[in-house]
Amino acid sequence: MDRGMVIFLGALLTFSSSWLGLILFPYWQLNNEKPYQKEPGDDPYPMPLQGEALAGRKVYQANGCIYCHSQQVRSEKFGNWWDENGQEHTGADIKRGWGSRRNVSRDYIYDNPTMLGTMRTGPDIANVGSRYSEAWQHSHTFNPRALNDWSIMPSFAFLYRKEKVVGERSGKALKLGREWTVDPGYRWRPSAGEWDAILQQRGDAIKSQFLSEPTHAGGIDPNTPDGKKRLLDFWLTTEEEGIQIVPTGDADALVAYLLALRKAEVPVPEAKE
Amino acid sequence: MSSVTVIPLHDRERAAAERASIDGSCRGPVLFFTASAVFWLLAGSILAIIASAKLHSPYFLTGIPELTFGRVRMAHLQAVSIGWTSMVTMGGSVWMMCRLCRTELIYPKLLYVSATLWNIGTLLSVGGILLGDGQSVEWLDAPPYAPPFFVAGLGIVSAWVAATFRRRREKHVYVTQWYILAAVFWFPWLYTVAVFMIFWSPATGVVQPIVNWWFNHNFLGLWLTPVAVGTAYYLIPKIIGRPIHSYYLSITGFWALALFYSWAGMHHLIGGPIPAWLSTASTVGSMMMFIPVIAVGINHHMTMRNHFHRLKYSPALRFTVFGAITYTWVSFQGSIESLKDFSEVAHFTHYTVAHAHLGAYGFVTMIYFGLYYYMIPRLTGREWSSSTLIRIHFWCASVGITIYFVSLSIGGWWQGRMLNNPDVSFGSITRYLLPYLFSRTVAGILLTIGHVAFAMSFVMNLAGWGKKRTGGPTFFVEKVA
Amino acid sequence: MSAANVAMFAVVIGSIVVFGTATILALGWAFRNGQFDNFDQGAASIFGPDEPVGEPTDAFPK
Repeated sequence: MDRGMVIFLGALLTFSSSWLGLILFPYWQLNNEKPYQKEPGDDPYPMPLQGEALAGRKVYQANGCIYCHSQQVRSEKFGNWWDENGQEHTGADIKRGWGSRRNVSRDYIYDNPTMLGTMRTGPDIANVGSRYSEAWQHSHTFNPRALNDWSIMPSFAFLYRKEKVVGERSGKALKLGREWTVDPGYRWRPSAGEWDAILQQRGDAIKSQFLSEPTHAGGIDPNTPDGKKRLLDFWLTTEEEGIQIVPTGDADALVAYLLALRKAEVPVPEAKE
Repeated sequence: MSSVTVIPLHDRERAAAERASIDGSCRGPVLFFTASAVFWLLAGSILAIIASAKLHSPYFLTGIPELTFGRVRMAHLQAVSIGWTSMVTMGGSVWMMCRLCRTELIYPKLLYVSATLWNIGTLLSVGGILLGDGQSVEWLDAPPYAPPFFVAGLGIVSAWVAATFRRRREKHVYVTQWYILAAVFWFPWLYTVAVFMIFWSPATGVVQPIVNWWFNHNFLGLWLTPVAVGTAYYLIPKIIGRPIHSYYLSITGFWALALFYSWAGMHHLIGGPIPAWLSTASTVGSMMMFIPVIAVGINHHMTMRNHFHRLKYSPALRFTVFGAITYTWVSFQGSIESLKDFSEVAHFTHYTVAHAHLGAYGFVTMIYFGLYYYMIPRLTGREWSSSTLIRIHFWCASVGITIYFVSLSIGGWWQGRMLNNPDVSFGSITRYLLPYLFSRTVAGILLTIGHVAFAMSFVMNLAGWGKKRTGGPTFFVEKVA
Repeated sequence: MSAANVAMFAVVIGSIVVFGTATILALGWAFRNGQFDNFDQGAASIFGPDEPVGEPTDAFPK
């Protein structure tokens, strides 16, 4: 071809066809979707995020959470597997408990940005607000391996503060054993030498703490290697004395956002399969 | 084509002098773009290794909040897509347009400004993301203060391409020029629409991911792919001294790409909360892509036929042909992946990551490496100083990307099958993936070693090491009496 | 058939007509303008007296 104009016009036409079909059309079809109200006087669904949860969405955004977590429960027709009898089933997302129905466009009308996500390195969390408590979310965000030893999710210990307890322990303090709090974000275990030193200093106190647990009535001999190890494993699960881990504002906001994620719960008419 | 053509010496010398003067005029701006690109390749490689290691060793660098996985992952993508591949796309386009239009480079100062703006934008993007301003919009994670730099930098390059094209001396418009002209027209449109509808005047709900994936897929298909394919269309015939096999196939390939590629983007949202007709339209577009891919594949293969032995002698050819062959295979894979039964398993898994890297690295980056090995000596007037470094680069790159692709494809596929079985606990899926994720880190280290060798060669060439080209401005060519 | 469906059909059919016509017109122009004469000459346009067909132009450094 020797005419640049032909190339230009051709490139313009072909490209504008996709721009029309994939951008303008869906925009006309979907941009003005309104919330759903079952009966007049009911709360509309969905409702925009407010306050702490809205601030939490920014923390989610800033830390790239979408790159491991999706927020889109797929329909009953997606996600197939075969059971022991060789029978095929579908609807894996819903059967995993990730939502009670598939997600539809209406679920996202107040999401800005709309973070559907395209990776499931971690589970889908469109409906995670209905699955875990606030306390669980805090401990998990602080160091996921405290709750799931197989987890590869990053520790977000930088969203938490380790501080001395002044007066009473804070109601918001995370309930975690010292193996998770001595070195925030990591899992701590003293070396053999360090444990010996600790036992020399406070071995008796630790042993009484151990024996005060009803299931440990059988006793323990810290002079045997097995006894030493059992005592250490126990001690690591006890809380650090005089120290607490509390959430910063960002952590509170993030958890508020996670608790607000209930995108696949409220029934809407278009989600019927 | 006759086997022996005696070319009058003065014709040859005149043509060589013209070519050398065109290459010389390109030196400053193109070296600025390509040197910046090498920097971003290295930065992107380090970020990549950090991200990859964190997935199998989650305590790696946990003490540094700026390096949390999500941020490093976003920063890595910006560094390699905006920094590395885009800057080579622009720098390479400048050189190829000058060569193919047979005009010397005009407005060099404008191009310096463009490259500077682009570098600033990329730095703001990568730095801003690590500091917590990332947007979590795939490929468009750059903080809000970065896009103006990209719009300005890109606008200059697009205008420059049009201006150079208008004052061309070469009457014929070669296939590479079609691709470059189209790419610099499409990309600004894509970017402006996406940034407008997602950030400046945000659309409601799922319209955002729809626009987002239209943009992302077209970034690959209407910006990187055209210039990479166009580069192969120039380098392969030029290096082996044989014209493209079928010019008709080139036209078919170009227009089919223009028509079908831009429809494929919704295959990233199959199964998602979008209207069914959108997914279907994109699957159709994705399958139709077989046409241009086969056209290009046949063309390149038939051009190379009986000349494959030259792969032993030419580094630029090795990288380019590796990339061109990968283009065919990764595109076939992509078309198949857009079918519902396939997408159902592969979506959300590392299988997709493997495919993405096979395309962005195995295809685009390898062809661009070929472009460097051909173009840089012609700009600096100096040969590469070390064959060994080039060989290290090639083998690290090709073995590395192969390990990357194989390990994540296998791991990702079974990850998908297990995700689809609610009786398999999420924990066991995560445990299962660890060896594959570790292999990916090994692959990434291998790739990075190759990049270091590449950067060393590049710096040494710019610094003046290496033999000056002898026998006239164009080397390897004996003067014919 | 709702109004939205009618509109969609109109645009789809209309687009096919527009693009189809444009393609036919473009091809017609191309043939008449002689774009397809000597077509394969274009493939040779990247060569020149200094880098003619038949001579490779890249090799490993010695």
